Amino acid sequence: MSSLAEMAAIFLALKDRDAVLGDLAETGASGWSALGSVLGLVVRQQMELWRAWQPWVASSVAFAGSLLLLSVSFGLSVDSRHLLRGEREYGSLLCEALLMLSWAWTSGFVVGSLSGKTRWVSGILCAISCLSCVLRFQDTSLSRLCVLLFLLPGVVGAVQGVRRARLSHRTALTLAIAMTALMLVWSGMLYMQNWFLFLPAWWLVAHADRSKLSNEKAAA
Amino acid sequence: MLGEFEYVLMTVAAGLGESAYGAAIREEIEKVAGRSCSIGALYTTIERLEKKGLLKTWMGEATAQRGGRAKRMVRVTPKGMHAAKEFYEAMMRVSRNASWATGEPERVS
Repeated sequence: MSSLAEMAAIFLALKDRDAVLGDLAETGASGWSALGSVLGLVVRQQMELWRAWQPWVASSVAFAGSLLLLSVSFGLSVDSRHLLRGEREYGSLLCEALLMLSWAWTSGFVVGSLSGKTRWVSGILCAISCLSCVLRFQDTSLSRLCVLLFLLPGVVGAVQGVRRARLSHRTALTLAIAMTALMLVWSGMLYMQNWFLFLPAWWLVAHADRSKLSNEKAAA
Repeated sequence: MLGEFEYVLMTVAAGLGESAYGAAIREEIEKVAGRSCSIGALYTTIERLEKKGLLKTWMGEATAQRGGRAKRMVRVTPKGMHAAKEFYEAMMRVSRNASWATGEPERVS
């Protein structure tokens, strides 16, 4: 069996890796044939994952959410500059920053909890939208990187989403209500164009609610 | 209802009994069904059937012939046997009037 096949097998789960490489050794498969078999399984396993709805939702949130958050990050950077010139109040900038943080974190959390083994696709989609925006950035008074302010809270949210998968009902509801209230109080209907960014927060509420109900049923 | 390849895999696994594992199932499918069976098709189908509760798998012994790597052993669950029986009976019912099942000469229009 070729070492190429063994290298390609790192994309397989540990139990599959042992079984597949063992089968190939037993049947005497070698070289390109062994490599083709391993890669064929890797591709099929990835395709199998996309039969579920979760990877599609996670990828959509990652791509559309990044595009919106890029403009939110840019808006926050512009308003920070206005604050330094005394054209903006601390309170409103704080609200804007909190909203950006919570939008990015909840979107990241949902992507992390839904993506599972397809999280690399969500990551690539997010990277594509970020790169295209950074490369086309034209405002010379601001750094190109100002549009990436959302990345850190987004990545933190995604990592926590992968680890925890769901929030408690109380936490999710508090977060969603606080975010919605914050936006209504701070900007009126100005930021309603970003309604899409509230979906992850309310999805977390719906998801937490279902798990709570099932826990109660199990307890009963 | 099972797919055709799922049924073939489960039937072969049931026939092999205690010695049903990846390479053995693959070899048997190629020998009996006369069709090629890729490792990709085999393991993704095993994975899917296990998720449905129709198969149970576990890691078996490692042999020198396999380079010291363990086998993934396969067993058809009672639910799997029921599903395979349903598929078999459905195929028998569907085929009952077909010329290749009745042995009558084929009618050409």
